[in-house]
Amino acid sequence: MPDTVVNLVDSPALGVLIGIAGVMAALTVNVLFLVWLERKVSAWIQRRMGPTEVGPFGMLQTIADMLKLISKQLITPRHVDKPLYHIAPVFVFVPVVAAASLFPFDEHVSLQNLDIGLVLVFAFGGLGIVGIFMAGWGSNNKYALLGAMRAVAQNISYEIPLILSTLSVVLMVNAMGDANTNGMNLAQVASMQHDKGFWFVLVQPVAAVIYFIAALAETNRAPFDIPEAESELVAGFHTEYSGMRFALFFFAEYSNMFIVAMVATVLFFGGWSGPLLPGAMWFFLKTYAIVFVMIWIRWTFPRLRFDQLMSFCWLVLIPLSILNLLVTAFIARAV
Amino acid sequence: MRAVRAVFVGLWSLLVGLAITIKHFGRTTILRKKVTEQYPHEKPVMSKAYRSAIKLIRFDETNSHDCVGCKACERICPSFCISVDGDKVDGIRKKRATHFEMDFALCSLCGLCIDACPTDTLEYSKLYEEVGYTRHWKHDLLKDFNAYEAQFVAEQRAREEAEAAEKARAAEEKKAAAAAAKAAKAAEAAKAAEPGAEPVADPAADAAAEEKKKKIEAAMAAKAARLAAKAAATPAPEES
Repeated sequence: MPDTVVNLVDSPALGVLIGIAGVMAALTVNVLFLVWLERKVSAWIQRRMGPTEVGPFGMLQTIADMLKLISKQLITPRHVDKPLYHIAPVFVFVPVVAAASLFPFDEHVSLQNLDIGLVLVFAFGGLGIVGIFMAGWGSNNKYALLGAMRAVAQNISYEIPLILSTLSVVLMVNAMGDANTNGMNLAQVASMQHDKGFWFVLVQPVAAVIYFIAALAETNRAPFDIPEAESELVAGFHTEYSGMRFALFFFAEYSNMFIVAMVATVLFFGGWSGPLLPGAMWFFLKTYAIVFVMIWIRWTFPRLRFDQLMSFCWLVLIPLSILNLLVTAFIARAV
Repeated sequence: MRAVRAVFVGLWSLLVGLAITIKHFGRTTILRKKVTEQYPHEKPVMSKAYRSAIKLIRFDETNSHDCVGCKACERICPSFCISVDGDKVDGIRKKRATHFEMDFALCSLCGLCIDACPTDTLEYSKLYEEVGYTRHWKHDLLKDFNAYEAQFVAEQRAREEAEAAEKARAAEEKKAAAAAAKAAKAAEAAKAAEPGAEPVADPAADAAAEEKKKKIEAAMAAKAARLAAKAAATPAPEES
């Protein structure tokens, strides 16, 4: 079993604390970088310059933004459902941190190596939706409520093809390995690709595409960003939030993006395996490449209509992913 | 079959879209072709036709403006936004502007002041960052010239002195030349008279000329007297 930070320290509680601190620090830096990247890439795609003033290439711009958000007054609108309104940002934020601590960054580097890693990642992803609905309901605002309802409907729908497409990879790993192999264990999925010498995107292209589309919808990103469609809903479920509470939603959004990219890296692109460079470097290179494609897609495609979005999920993605799963299961049994 | 084809056409259109955006991405990142002007760092070059607040032209010969403070612009301005003052400077023929302010907030950019300027020293400037930090902010058109004013006065004085000296020298030379010509003529006449030829001037003609001159003088005097009498008779016309 690979070493993990939790196993390295004697006391499990201390290990968990160190792990959480590490993950939160890494995620914060990562979010700051991703926001900068998003702004820069969108600017470059639109033949603009993006942030250039603060620091080299404007890289410190997001730090300035963060300091501004931290120092802002927290405004609580009248007539909000106070408990829900206050808890919602935390409820969105915490699962993200928990989910981010489950990944194998290198062959033997992970905070926790659990046999149910994949299930946990999606379970935490599902928890975040509860927080989003709390925010939408508690805000006592029609835009927030509409945005939250859309987010819930969309996330619940798209979770099905998301999980079905990953399930076919799990089936495949189980079929290819011995009795001890567990396809739900993220580290084992990555090392399986390393041992076999090919990425699963080559044998599961349909699952990879379905996963990617569903992941875009799960993270509420364009062209599926209907829950926060600016032209219709102001800002969606976080319309009434400002200051650090808004920052927490933002943090969760960008971290979610990073998490689905990490899942894609582990399941379809070989995780940390790669020549020459150290494993962690390959892991983050691949993850950022996927994130770049997500940003690229956001600044290319227009937003879908809501009925198009739902019918695309239920009429195309879910049947296709079930078909893919059946074919995978059939082949796995036959081989 | 048509549905399958539609799916592939749709997928292809998505890829085409992605190709377009990445092409622009590459143009800005790799080819570094940018279309935005980084304004505070890069200043735009204003068009020839751009009209902003008036300014005083700096002439190459004098390295200064040529405003004489005549107030022609101040008088013609329909918006009353110019205020000029001029004063005599020792040793210089023309007056010099001592104060030239315009309130750009009132200016309608009609350009009458530019047309009215007798020394053609006004023109539209190309200023575009017209920001005032106080309510009564005005353009001081002499601001850029004040530092050079003493130098200009000294130089102009030297120029005018040199000019005067040149003029005096030229007059002297002309006089000398005239005297020389007279002398030469006289010498020639003397030379011509020597062989006993007819004299150049004959006394009868001289007397006639004298008579004519006297006549003219008398006529002029009479005319002046007539005019004076007329002026005294009619009431003086009002000063215009």
